[in-house]
Amino acid sequence: MTEAGVHARTGTEAAAVPSPAAAGIERPARRLRPRRRTVVLALRLLAAILVTVVFLFPIYWLAIMAFKTADEIFAYPPVWWPGSLNLSNFAVLFRDGDWETVRNSLVLATSSTAIAMVLGTFAAYALERFRIGGENLAVWIISQRMLPPVVIVFPIFLLYVALGWVDTFHGMIVLYVAFSLPYVIWMMRGYIHDIPIELEESAELDGCSRWQILWRVVFPMARTGLFATAVFTFVFVWNDFVFALVLTRTEVVTYTVQVTHYFGGQSNFWAKIAAMSMLGTLPVFFAVATLQRYFVRGLSMGAVKG
Amino acid sequence: MRPAALDAPRIRASDRRFGLLLLAPSVLLLLLVGLFPLVYTLVVSFQQITLFEVDTSFAGLANYRMLLSDERLWESLLHTAILFSIALPLELALGLAMAQLFLERLPGRQIFIALLVLPTVIAPLVAGAVWRLLLDHRYGPVNQIVGWLWGEEAVLLWTVNPLLVYPAILMAEVWQWTPFMFLILLAALTNVDRSLTEAAEIDGAGFWLTFRKVVLPAIWPVMAVALLIRGLDLARIFDVVYALTGGGPGTMTETISIYTYVLGFRQFETSYTGAIAFLVIAILTVLVVGAVKRMGLAR
Amino acid sequence: MRITRRLFLQTTAAATAAGLARPAFARTAADRAVEEAKKYAGSTINIVWEAGLQALDPLNFSGPKWTELTGIEVRVVEVQTAEMFTKIMQEFRAGTGAYDSLNVIPAWMPDLANAGALEPLDALVEKYGYRDELQAIAPTYRDNQMMVDGKIYAFPDDGDVFILYYRKDVFEDPANQAAFKDAHGYDLAPPKTWAQFAEIGRFLTDKYAPQMYGAAFFRQPPYTMYMFQERFRNEGGRFFDADSMRATINSDVGVRVFDEMRAENAFMPPGVEQWGFVENLAAFLSGQTAMTISWPPYGRWAAGYGTDESALSWVPKSTVAGKVGYALPPGGHPQLAAGFCLAVASTSRQKEAAYLFNQWLNSEDISMQRVQLPYALRDPFRTSHFDDPVYKSRWPEAPEYLATLEAGSETGLLDLSLLQTDRYEEVLRQSISRLWAGEDPKAILDDAAAQWDQTTDRIGADKQGAVYRAWAAKSGAYPART
Repeated sequence: MTEAGVHARTGTEAAAVPSPAAAGIERPARRLRPRRRTVVLALRLLAAILVTVVFLFPIYWLAIMAFKTADEIFAYPPVWWPGSLNLSNFAVLFRDGDWETVRNSLVLATSSTAIAMVLGTFAAYALERFRIGGENLAVWIISQRMLPPVVIVFPIFLLYVALGWVDTFHGMIVLYVAFSLPYVIWMMRGYIHDIPIELEESAELDGCSRWQILWRVVFPMARTGLFATAVFTFVFVWNDFVFALVLTRTEVVTYTVQVTHYFGGQSNFWAKIAAMSMLGTLPVFFAVATLQRYFVRGLSMGAVKG
Repeated sequence: MRPAALDAPRIRASDRRFGLLLLAPSVLLLLLVGLFPLVYTLVVSFQQITLFEVDTSFAGLANYRMLLSDERLWESLLHTAILFSIALPLELALGLAMAQLFLERLPGRQIFIALLVLPTVIAPLVAGAVWRLLLDHRYGPVNQIVGWLWGEEAVLLWTVNPLLVYPAILMAEVWQWTPFMFLILLAALTNVDRSLTEAAEIDGAGFWLTFRKVVLPAIWPVMAVALLIRGLDLARIFDVVYALTGGGPGTMTETISIYTYVLGFRQFETSYTGAIAFLVIAILTVLVVGAVKRMGLAR
Repeated sequence: MRITRRLFLQTTAAATAAGLARPAFARTAADRAVEEAKKYAGSTINIVWEAGLQALDPLNFSGPKWTELTGIEVRVVEVQTAEMFTKIMQEFRAGTGAYDSLNVIPAWMPDLANAGALEPLDALVEKYGYRDELQAIAPTYRDNQMMVDGKIYAFPDDGDVFILYYRKDVFEDPANQAAFKDAHGYDLAPPKTWAQFAEIGRFLTDKYAPQMYGAAFFRQPPYTMYMFQERFRNEGGRFFDADSMRATINSDVGVRVFDEMRAENAFMPPGVEQWGFVENLAAFLSGQTAMTISWPPYGRWAAGYGTDESALSWVPKSTVAGKVGYALPPGGHPQLAAGFCLAVASTSRQKEAAYLFNQWLNSEDISMQRVQLPYALRDPFRTSHFDDPVYKSRWPEAPEYLATLEAGSETGLLDLSLLQTDRYEEVLRQSISRLWAGEDPKAILDDAAAQWDQTTDRIGADKQGAVYRAWAAKSGAYPART
């Protein structure tokens, strides 16, 4: 992946080559008659509702499974609407301490995000403003994201065995930070690029040291970018499965690994699978709800600027 | 390090030192977690380490020769390719259709979009688990719905029947990632200059012609990046398959990532796994470089 | 040496009985374990348990009780079966000391012991005076699931055996009896052969379906893998040619067993291929199937034993209590499928505490309570369990049930156990899912045999051959030739 691709702006450049006939014609009013317009709108609305229902149905099903009683889970035909708001599936997770895996996920995701944001923004600043290593370094960094987790987790496991870092918080955090860094650096580079360099220059004239410029100008100016990138990094770490599957045992088991523990030899514990999945999914929904505005830029690794 | 200062003569030596200081922690971490594994894997792949034997003597290309005769490996690559080549166009097409649907004014548009984001942020492993719930032949609703449409009770064994197991994985995969394509493409379409498309329409160009000649070139840079991101993820697909089928029935849905996991952690074929890891990295590199060139992403 | 020690202990026990008590030996193994473990009060031991039902015992019963008695906290690490071997090996390689006490499936023991993942227990058994009670474990389990190369690595802790459960009321119905005899020329009774099983199953399905089917099984590959091992050997199959170590599962016997297994699905409920433990249990308990073969807990729950406990709320209520008969599966040599043993991780930093917990769990006193926990999956594995008057009074048919379990343990067949057993089993599991997927049995088994050979060659045919021959020489490896 190259910088050019990811930083390409939408629309304007490519569309700047106009189709010959298009130039100079004024934008006309829609020629549909009002009645027909209403029908089209109604149809579109219907389609929109249908699409949304289809895409949300699995999440709905997960949610109601979490509240079903055992009888309802094993009812045939399936029950579409639980008879009561049964919280015992969640109660079991709290009683047996399974919820601690959600706490572990939270600790890992929060701390690795914080560290990755600071280190990544430093690095992005150095790459963007001081051109250290040129494009080669930047491309090498982003290419680190290409490696399949399953492939790198194997040597990492052996390395961690040697270091004694298996099943430790710091081991997992180091790994997640390193794995998040390419994304953070890549995104923050774009955001820092958008900060007018004159601001930094005038701060320098005012006698600010480099660190002060970084803390007082760059970080505040890039705060929306920091926020959006942080939420994405958080979600990446939160949703990880492969690293946690291989590198955790008891102390830092994450919720995704815990979910697989309910796929038992004798039976799948649907109630626990659903309840634990809900516990693990709600924080992400919450995080995402707060960043609607920045979502697309983060998702597309900066290809779309919001 | 290459004298970067030559490229940008304005950058002062003290700035460079400061920049290096800022960059050092990240680069060190990436070397530890990014480069070390590669080097280590390369070394190990020339040895003979298995569950019982830690034979670190040089074994030449023995493990690489094994790659050639390992049918299960090539089949797993084929399975990955199948998922890749169906899921990617499907997600693109559906995402584009949805983006068109939501492009213009619509009551509650923002709410719809906010809701449609949700599948994409769920952990892929959880998505797999959710679909396992949905596709359970007895306690899941999918067979029930099929039964209503079909008119009689449906007994579709989604994770047993070889004809259904790929559709099952694809449903989960497409469900989770179509919204990803949708959101990015919607943003891209929104940025297309409306006067251009309308001008083309007035000029008599139909929807498809307008789309091909005006819209597509405009959104292509963004679309290409979205395809690249999804393509890479599909090439590494693990979580959904792990939760939904575990690679079964038999090894019919075993992807390259699942196979690597089985070899490395169920069978402890350390050295051979190293050789596979290198094969995978080589394949991905070729694909990505090729894709970047073909898609016109490189300038 | 061991015999001397045993003799000594027996003499002492006799002396105790005679009133010449020596206090140190008057106490039970469970008491001794508790006494000795008190010095580790305040520490926490991590125990690796199969996720799900199995873990209810340490979570609800034995864990809290041990903590109360000794002050040692117990943390249950639930791991799904498919990942258990992987996790234990990974942890051994990693050596973090995260696991203390381990549940291991006997078939894995040669691998784990050879790799060094398990702590040899002989010295601790002596130190804490457990030899006697250990010897009182039912012979099959004691002789086959405890040692590797003459050393004790684990305590057999779960008398797993497959039992045929059938509906007595349906089988004894005079109309059914008469109609069946007319049609097939022999009495309707629990099938002795798989041919009879197919005829009875078909007969009952034809009469009762869809309200009731002749039979159903837990058809998911992990279970069916054991079922195949059992049927294949009951029909005279051999896994390998002992001299050349070439796999012989693709013999005519293997193909026939595969053919028959798939053909049976026709008279089982639709979708049976995807059934797991719970689906099959639910169907049997709600009276939708007339026969099934499974592990011992089915028998307890079918009798309604303890199913009103909240821990068992997910088990459907039994509508067949009092109507269930027990028999050995066709062929008469049931698989001693899986079974769990208690071991100590060699990387544990609290080996003694872990050992003492295992001894306590496994002891006469505590195991007697554990195998009678209504929600537990631990099945009788001591001679005393089979004879226990309390157990026999748990439900009306309990004496019959225990007698069937004991008979099964005596004639049962051991799981195939070699170096890297998991790889051989994985091939079988995959073969079974291919069987349900509709592929040709002969082709599947040819592939399986080729993969077995490949694995054997990778390990070394000589090395594996020696392990196989030692295994095959055990009494439970193949049915005794008649």
